[in-house]
Order: sequence, then C-alpha cells, then structure tokens
Amino acid sequence: MIAILVDGIVQGLQLSLMAVGITLIYGLGGVLNLAHGQFAVVGGIATALFVEAGVNPLAACALGILSAGVFGFVVDRTLLLPAYRSAGEERLLLGLLITLGLSFVVNGFLDYKYPNISLTLKLATPSFNVAGITVRTASVVAAAIAIVAFVLLFAFLKGTLLGKVIRSIIQNEVGAGLCGINPGRIRTLIVTLSAMMAGLGGVVQGLFSSLGTEMGNELTSFALIVAVVGGVRSINGTLAAGVLLGIVNAFASYFVGAYLTLIILLGTAVFTILLRPAGLFAYRT
Amino acid sequence: MSALIGVEGIEVAYGDIAVVRGVSLEVREGEAVAVIGPNGAGKTTLFKTIAGMLKPRAGKILYQGARIDGLRHYEIVKRGVIYVPAERELFPQMTVLENLELGAYTNYKSRWERLKFVLGLFPRLAERRRQMAGTLSGGEQQMVAVGRGLMAKPRILLLDEPSTGLAPLFVSELYRQLSRLKGEGLTILLAEQQVPHALSFTERAYVLENGGIRLFGKSGDLLGDPEIQRSYLGMA
Repeated sequence: MIAILVDGIVQGLQLSLMAVGITLIYGLGGVLNLAHGQFAVVGGIATALFVEAGVNPLAACALGILSAGVFGFVVDRTLLLPAYRSAGEERLLLGLLITLGLSFVVNGFLDYKYPNISLTLKLATPSFNVAGITVRTASVVAAAIAIVAFVLLFAFLKGTLLGKVIRSIIQNEVGAGLCGINPGRIRTLIVTLSAMMAGLGGVVQGLFSSLGTEMGNELTSFALIVAVVGGVRSINGTLAAGVLLGIVNAFASYFVGAYLTLIILLGTAVFTILLRPAGLFAYRT
Repeated sequence: MSALIGVEGIEVAYGDIAVVRGVSLEVREGEAVAVIGPNGAGKTTLFKTIAGMLKPRAGKILYQGARIDGLRHYEIVKRGVIYVPAERELFPQMTVLENLELGAYTNYKSRWERLKFVLGLFPRLAERRRQMAGTLSGGEQQMVAVGRGLMAKPRILLLDEPSTGLAPLFVSELYRQLSRLKGEGLTILLAEQQVPHALSFTERAYVLENGGIRLFGKSGDLLGDPEIQRSYLGMA
C-alpha cells in the first residue's frame, strides 16, 4: 500500500514538472501547448542519444535537458510568432493548431529517424529497505529531482525580480505593460524554461521506467489534465493536482488496470472541475 | 515653458468608428492640465493613445520634441510617461509591496528611495504592505495604482479618472496628495468626471465632447463659465 502511494506521489511530481510548463506558457503566452509531451520526449531521447554516443550519463542528462530548452526557444521564436501576433481567442486557436501540428511532426520524425531508441536510466543500487519496506532507489531520486526543481522554481518566482515580472504578466499583462515590462522577451524565456522542465520530466520518466519516442501524446494528455485540474494559471494548484492525480493513477492502475485508469483520471478531473471550475486553488474575487 | 507633451490633430478609431477626432493639446513642464467631459467623450481613448496602447490613425504625439506615437507602450514608460488607468490594472495576487516594486521596473536601482517616498505619501499602504492587492478596498487600490505609477519616477503622470468608485473622503485625500506632488514639480495630465475637483486642482483644462475639443482655457475661467456650470457643475 505504502509502496503504491509513494509511486503515485513520485509519478505525480513528474507529471507536475510537465504540467507547470503548460501552466506557465498558457499564463504568459496565451498558448495551450499541445506539443508539451514532445518537449519531454525530445529532452529524453536527446539524453539517450548522448548516452549512446558515450557521454557520461549525468552530463548526457544535462545536455538532453538543454536540447529540450533549445528546441523550445526555436519553437517560440519561429513557429509561435504568428500566434503571438494575434490576440485573444484567435491566438488560442492558432496556438492549438500550431502546437498540434508540431506534435505530429515531432512524432513522425522520431518514429522515422530513431524507431528503436528509448531512454532507460539504471541506477547502481536498484532498491533498498526502510523499516521492512522495499523502496526503489529510482523513485527516491526521481522524487528528489522533482522536489528540488519545484523548490528552485518557487524561489525564482517569489524571490527574484524576473520571477515577480513573470507572475505579474500571468496576473495582468496590461498592468505589466504599464510598468514598462516587454512581455515578448519574458515569454521566450518562459517557453525555454518550460521546455527544459519538460525535458527534465522526460529524463525522470527514463529513470522511473522507460521513455520511448511514441510517448509524447500520452505525456501531453496527462500533463494537460493536471494543468486543467490545478487551474491553468496557478502554479501551486498544478503541483497539488499532479500529486493528487498521480496517487489516483497509481491506485487505479494497481486495483483496476490500465484501461479503466484513464477513465478514472478523467473522471477525477471532471469532478474537480465541477467543484472548482477555475482549478484547485483558484483565486476568488 | 516648452511643451513636454504635444498632441497634434490625432484621430483614433476602433475599427471604422472614430472615437477621437482631430484632438490637439499640450502639457507644459510642471503644469497640471485637466481633460473633462461626459462619459464616452473619448478621454480614456485619448490617454491610452498618448500612453502608446492605441495607435492614432492620423496626427502625431510629441514628447520632449520627439515623436512617440510609433513606440510600443512599454518603451514610452521607459521615457517617463506613466499612465494610471481608471481600471487600475493591479496584480491582484501580489502584495502591495510587490505591486509597488514592479512599478520601479524601469527605474530599479532607485526603488528603495522611491518606495520611501510613495509610502510617505500614502501611509495607509505601509500598513497594508504585506496584503494582496486584490483584497484592498477601492480607495486603497487606487493609492496602489498611483503609487505604482510614481515608483517609476515619472516625468509626466497621466491620471485617468482617479476618483472612480471612491468614497468622497478618499477623493479628498487623494487630491491632497496629488497637490503635494504637483507642488514638487510633477507634470500631470488628469481626466476627471468630478469637474470641481479637476478644475480647482489644475491650471488649464480642455473640454472633450464627442471625440473633439470643444473648449479650452484656464481652469479658473472654465469654473466660472456659465456653459460649463450648466453642463458639468449642475448649476442652473
């Protein structure tokens, strides 16, 4: 039981790593990124390629995450420009189409070019015992990575000027402009940072089990559910929703199997949205 | 005195509908100027255009002799033209202190000195500094909005309807502090529906009706103008 709970929390944290990127890009750029799982896959597969090329695994992870960041940066500065030029609903729709198209392209490319590559990171000691319970080392490491990433993200958003600027744009883009803030530059930074966090999520997936080239869409859907349940403008909410849905996912997979799990997850999402339409920690005016 | 801001024959439209037609006005260094007029006369459109949030279809806007009508709004802020809209546009889930800090974004090195100045002006904000801006009363939010604008060390403050939705006590308090700022040499362009406040606070005023300037002159003279008294001051 406890093992399932721990697994759920770890998986939830990993989902949150990706969902928080969706939240940030939506909050800042008004684009709901349907290729976010592909950012994670690009990061993870790049890591696998670096490992295959003989790079030290830790350095390969760093390079893989960096690759995801570069990919995000390029996407922001090229493909997303037409979306940024329009506003409101038009931007949202254009952003959906562009990122959906991008997800197809990335899937197709990886499937064609690297059909047999996947990322599986193995640790020296696969498991250890704590008070009679066997714990997978990978779970602990994965959880630690995710928690450190979130602590850093929160410290950045709360404690630095740039972090405050980011929060200000999410809360009120007009107000940020009145302070002399240029949202375009900050947006590029956030897409890059979000892509790197997604890449980290991909690497964590490789650590936890295995990351294949075909997993982009699945990761996007899970992350999207988490982001919506958490409230697409709330970072605290995203973290909580990730852990909640991760636990639900772990128990559901254990007791009823994989097919019903997705239905139960979506059910949980619908139920949460019915209770709290704007997300778990929605701001009430 | 030279003009700090010169608006020359601007026309601003939403789609095909011109909201501001051929408006010219100027604000000189150290002056306080009012724009009065009924709801929908185009005051907010005029202010947003000067601030760079709307582009004029014709005419030009000069600031210190150089055109600014082609610049993005955040670039205009960098030059010291600060717009405080009636909607306030605060960051509701950030503290008063954070809201003020972001106001100093273009002037970050002197943020502490500015903060001391703003909190001295509005001591109530010092009491509320850890509170989320979204939880403040309307009057306090207006103080945050004006305070945030002052954090940038403006050369000119564009104040759009600062008294909207405020209790009379707050309006008087706000104008007392604005007078103090004016006394310190701050240039102010003010749009206001509370005409007596606006005219007694400023040196000159423009009357905007249906998107055009109908009348302008010394505020004191306008206060005594029978037509103004009838239309805006509720006198027979």
